[in-house]
Amino acid sequence: MLLLDYQNVLIQSILTERFSGAPPQTIDQVVSDFDGVIFHISTPTTKTEILISLSIKCFRELVQYGAEAVLQREYGSYITATEAGYDFSILVDLENLPPSPEEREELVRRISLLKRNVMAAPFEKAYDEFSQLSAEAAKYTSESAPQGIAEGGEVMSIHYREEEAIYIKASFDRVTVIFSTMFIDAVDRIFAKVFLQEFVDARRRAIQNAPQVLFRSDPPLELQGLKGVGKTGEKGEMGFITFVLFPRHLTLQQRDEVISHIQTFRDYFHYHIKASKAYIHSRMRRRTADFLQVLNRARPETEERERKTASGRTFRVQG
Amino acid sequence: MVCLAIPPGFESQSLRPYLQCVRSSLTAALSLSNFASQVAERHNVPEIEAASSPEVLLNPLTVARNENEKVLIEPSINSVRVSIRIKQADEIEHILVHKFTRFLTQRAESFFILRRKPVKGYDISFLITNTHTEEMLKHKLVDFIIQFMEEVDKEISEMKLFLNARARFVAESFLIPFD
Amino acid sequence: MANINWRTLNVDAYDPDSEVNFPLTTLLPANLPAPSNAAESAQIGQQVRQLLRAGDSLGALQSALETAPLAGDEAAKQVHLATVLEVLQGIRHSEVSRILSELLKQPGGTALGDTLMKYLYKGMASGAGGSGSKGLSPQATGASTGFSQIQGRNFGEGSGGQVMSVLLSWHEKLTEVVGVGGIVRVMSDRRTV
Repeated sequence: MLLLDYQNVLIQSILTERFSGAPPQTIDQVVSDFDGVIFHISTPTTKTEILISLSIKCFRELVQYGAEAVLQREYGSYITATEAGYDFSILVDLENLPPSPEEREELVRRISLLKRNVMAAPFEKAYDEFSQLSAEAAKYTSESAPQGIAEGGEVMSIHYREEEAIYIKASFDRVTVIFSTMFIDAVDRIFAKVFLQEFVDARRRAIQNAPQVLFRSDPPLELQGLKGVGKTGEKGEMGFITFVLFPRHLTLQQRDEVISHIQTFRDYFHYHIKASKAYIHSRMRRRTADFLQVLNRARPETEERERKTASGRTFRVQG
Repeated sequence: MVCLAIPPGFESQSLRPYLQCVRSSLTAALSLSNFASQVAERHNVPEIEAASSPEVLLNPLTVARNENEKVLIEPSINSVRVSIRIKQADEIEHILVHKFTRFLTQRAESFFILRRKPVKGYDISFLITNTHTEEMLKHKLVDFIIQFMEEVDKEISEMKLFLNARARFVAESFLIPFD
Repeated sequence: MANINWRTLNVDAYDPDSEVNFPLTTLLPANLPAPSNAAESAQIGQQVRQLLRAGDSLGALQSALETAPLAGDEAAKQVHLATVLEVLQGIRHSEVSRILSELLKQPGGTALGDTLMKYLYKGMASGAGGSGSKGLSPQATGASTGFSQIQGRNFGEGSGGQVMSVLLSWHEKLTEVVGVGGIVRVMSDRRTV
């Protein structure tokens, strides 16, 4: 489990089971995902109608960047009235499923990618802006380009966690994705530095075509003047990681994969920091046991000699 | 005598005499006898910690390899305090040393001779009293401290190598799908 | 008066009969050399350096050790330490064993060996920032240089490693000859250098 999955495995398994033709059942289950996303799967009216609702912290921002269009495209007629307390709901009628198993599988896949899809909206918007801007820019030389094109689109910010955000900005030759992330623990921060250095170096060393990665502790130039950036970064616990996606990552055939993949970055990154810490911890535990063994060697062995009385009976010393 | 996973040459050159020096100094310092407190009746405390009778404290010895690696031996009539400063070449080693020594001191109970808090300026301290030298073999105690010093350095550099290797692997695995 | 936190006062310190006020000077032998100061040490240092320059390593070492300011003040001791360290570093590694055995063969050589041992430990203590009083505490997490691509890596290999390795090799050779007893005498002798 090196890379994280894009879909929600629990939703996938529930729906796969339901769609397989098993007798309908009442479901009422709350499923959590990364970044505080919560799903609610239930059968509110009849056992055959499954309602899947999603709650995400930054839904309002996502709508602003065209989430509704993306959801309409992905889920179309399944969309239903939003359940109270959630941000988006779809309803699947088990008696009205697509006929072929392939289509059903595809539907399961689409629904389990709900979080990915809703988060994809600003990325898709940036992609569209990029292609628009690059088409525009092609008409000019670099000197004579009008202001708007050289500067690129506006910065889209998605505050998807309590104190962390993703910023996306399209230009005519690139799309910049900036993650702001927070390290409450000082050790995490130092580990993160080691990891990020490798992200930076990987491009130089092995994977020339990877996006460029940069990191720093103060907000990068793109975010200057933006509201709410770096407010919490006084003690250096804030980190900004920039991914620069080049045109080769922005082609239509790469598009979906890149969007899915880059979304998992923050969780992937933190997951591996924690995993390293856990490993080092277990290693120290083992080493400590070794040390104890060495120290115990210093204790002279208390030999338990058998003592006998004159009559030949054995006895043991008390205590 | 030892094999270290750190750059050869310059490192291991002075390690052997350093450990040798610590070994002979410790052997000399671990001549302890039972000594009841002169200050409070029916008390028997490690004089090096109590420091209430200056005449039973001996001259402290420092064995150093360089500024970042040294051992302070503070002898007294019935107890010896041994403090070790472990090499920390960068931030990561610093954090690893800190974590490791904290891990050990939290288990001080089972380590008998480990002091719960290091002496200021050092990373880890041991407090050996006459009870310890009576119950345990003195030369094995010295062996333990020497082995501890060897292993800690080795462990720290191995953990650092591991961290770097993992970071590299993680980074590359994430970036390959973009390729 | 109101500013004094009398609860933390050590009342024993005011009692002349208390253990804390044990007169350490009574532990010193009567035949201590006369007190000296830094200027005198510097003068001796000059003479020793001359001997060293003349190629008489043994003579330089011997006179440096014989003139150790056992009753001198702190400054005198520091100056003399510098002289001794210079002599020790000025002697080639291959000659150490020969010089040591000749030094110890002389009348009063054992005492000189003990003095040399004292200087070896003092040299290591001073070069390494004293007994923990100076220098940054390694426990302090002052290294929070934040989170940036620009890394401050100035911990480096500790300085003074060169002198230390000379002292360590002298220590090893000397211990071979005088044994652990020499170290015990460093700990127990109140006549510090």
